Amino acid sequence: MARRPCSLSALGLVSSLGAGAADTWRRLAAGDSSRLSERSDLAPGRTLLVGAVREPLPEVPAALARYACRNNALTLAALGQIEEPVQAALARFGPGRVGVVLGTSTSGVSDAEAAIAHHVRTQSLSPTFFYDQLEFGGAAGFVAELLGLRGPAYTLSTACSSGARALASARSLLALGACDAVIAGATDSLCGLTAGGFGALQAIADGVTNPMSANRAGITLGEASALFLVTGEPGGIQLQGAGESSEAHHMSAPDPEGRGAREAMEAALRDAGCGADDIAYLNLHGTGTPLNDAMESVAVAALFGERVPCSSTKPLVGHTLGAAGALEAAFCWLVLRGREGAELLLPPHAFDGVRDPALPWLRLAAKGERARAAPPARVMTNSFGFGGNNCTLVLGESA
Amino acid sequence: MTLAVRVRGFAAWAPGLEDAAAWRGWSAAPGPLGREGVPDARFLPAMLRRRCTPLTRIMLRAAFDVCPEPLRAEVRTVFASRHGSINESIELIEAVARRQPISPAKFSHTVHNAQAALYSIATGNRRASSSLAAQEDTLASGWIEALAHLEREPARPLLLVQGDVPLAPTFAPLVDEPVASYAVAWLLAADGDGEPLELALEPAAPGVTRPRRAWPEAAELLRWWLADEPSLELPGPRQCAVFRRGEA
Repeated sequence: MARRPCSLSALGLVSSLGAGAADTWRRLAAGDSSRLSERSDLAPGRTLLVGAVREPLPEVPAALARYACRNNALTLAALGQIEEPVQAALARFGPGRVGVVLGTSTSGVSDAEAAIAHHVRTQSLSPTFFYDQLEFGGAAGFVAELLGLRGPAYTLSTACSSGARALASARSLLALGACDAVIAGATDSLCGLTAGGFGALQAIADGVTNPMSANRAGITLGEASALFLVTGEPGGIQLQGAGESSEAHHMSAPDPEGRGAREAMEAALRDAGCGADDIAYLNLHGTGTPLNDAMESVAVAALFGERVPCSSTKPLVGHTLGAAGALEAAFCWLVLRGREGAELLLPPHAFDGVRDPALPWLRLAAKGERARAAPPARVMTNSFGFGGNNCTLVLGESA
Repeated sequence: MTLAVRVRGFAAWAPGLEDAAAWRGWSAAPGPLGREGVPDARFLPAMLRRRCTPLTRIMLRAAFDVCPEPLRAEVRTVFASRHGSINESIELIEAVARRQPISPAKFSHTVHNAQAALYSIATGNRRASSSLAAQEDTLASGWIEALAHLEREPARPLLLVQGDVPLAPTFAPLVDEPVASYAVAWLLAADGDGEPLELALEPAAPGVTRPRRAWPEAAELLRWWLADEPSLELPGPRQCAVFRRGEA
């Protein structure tokens, strides 16, 4: 398909697996599930196992205090890792030609919770609280102001598909000629609202999430930031396809037949100009909820049969909600970048090994499993959000 | 950088301004929009009415008005709202602060894509859909995201819906903006039928700040469209969005 290239030129990321590509890849490839931690401050009366970022985070500069919140500090941690290529892009293209598209489902809710609790107690807002911390648009606005970008800057928030969608839109902004480079990805942070909300939906597992298992009992929450510098150049690892669909079904439950999921995957393959047989690895949405895994396995099996090795990486980092689509695209990027000769080392599907006999059989990647995939290889990642908002991406090596 | 698009129609809703004739009258003598109010909910499927917040009802009213059947189920959609469902989120955060339980149904309706999701459910629309926010630059950003969708699939028309309702009193003093309940919806296409419109993203002229208006930017764009003026400059925090009538 003749289309302007879309290079995922540089990656910065922070999650419970660590900060930066090297630590993240080492622990991801090893299936290190020891990085989750317990938190008792998120949901009243309940200790939750979560994928929290352990590293100390950089401080939002004082001049941008009105953006100071954990969500933006996570963004800053990821952005710091790609500062050099970002500054080079700004110098090369000029600030008016560099944009930012971020996904988030939380923005600064965790900090707003403290401000609102203060308000509930005292009827006044705390002086360190600004609306820019809470509003969704502030996630992208923060990056634009920090870097002095003058291109388009907006936040996409479509629940758990936000991060994948941000990458899809960045690719379109390059194709339209609206930008020459886009900082695109997503950030989400742990907060009481999502812990309480998913808790109320009976959707949080007591232990670690257990996707595709007969014993699966819900999600493990997580937080992360994953940001790419996206440029319209050939070479390297490319975003080759994006497929999107809506479910038209229910606010918090997917179509049990997986129709929306399958449509998103098929559209992504068409957009990438390839077929199901060309996909070497699939990063599942794999939330570990009964409904998601049932419908996703039906959709994956219908499209790929038993051929494609796949895994959910959520047992390692938790479900990072609005960041998940970007974080899991980052994991796919690391899989391709970690190429070992004619093979790709795959992130394992870390679960209790008890397959659910009610689900179609999927080829779940074992620890140390390698896919034989001569270059150029393609990999896929699924993201399905509340409200039935689906986005599947195909990443590939350049020919 | 100039982007071209075709406008196939518009619809808008604000208290007391419920059809095109009313908006034509308003655009001849514009003033503040109504602060509070919602359209009658009877246009929505009965099962969805109860869960519809004021913003959802207003945005879906404008969306239904601009997009006839059977196109309603076939368009891509972009929903742009600065505040979205934030008022409902604030209510839940207050419940968390008081250590009260959260309603699961209310929680699932606080996502920023709640309006897009209910549109999809109400119309059976299975197409791609984005929901976005961009602080005071939400109007221009909504158009850019709409154009980004038309780039992905030029043959399919796109429904762009922009709207907001007043921010909850706790936070309203923190935001300086015209307070209104409104939605403006546009039916757009990459080419073919419709009136040509161009959107240019130009460097912001130094020292030019956004003019203070008594009505939201989305209403200003509609005022311009109805007034038959050749161009409209909307200076943003980073770029100036310039809307022009294109060559037919």
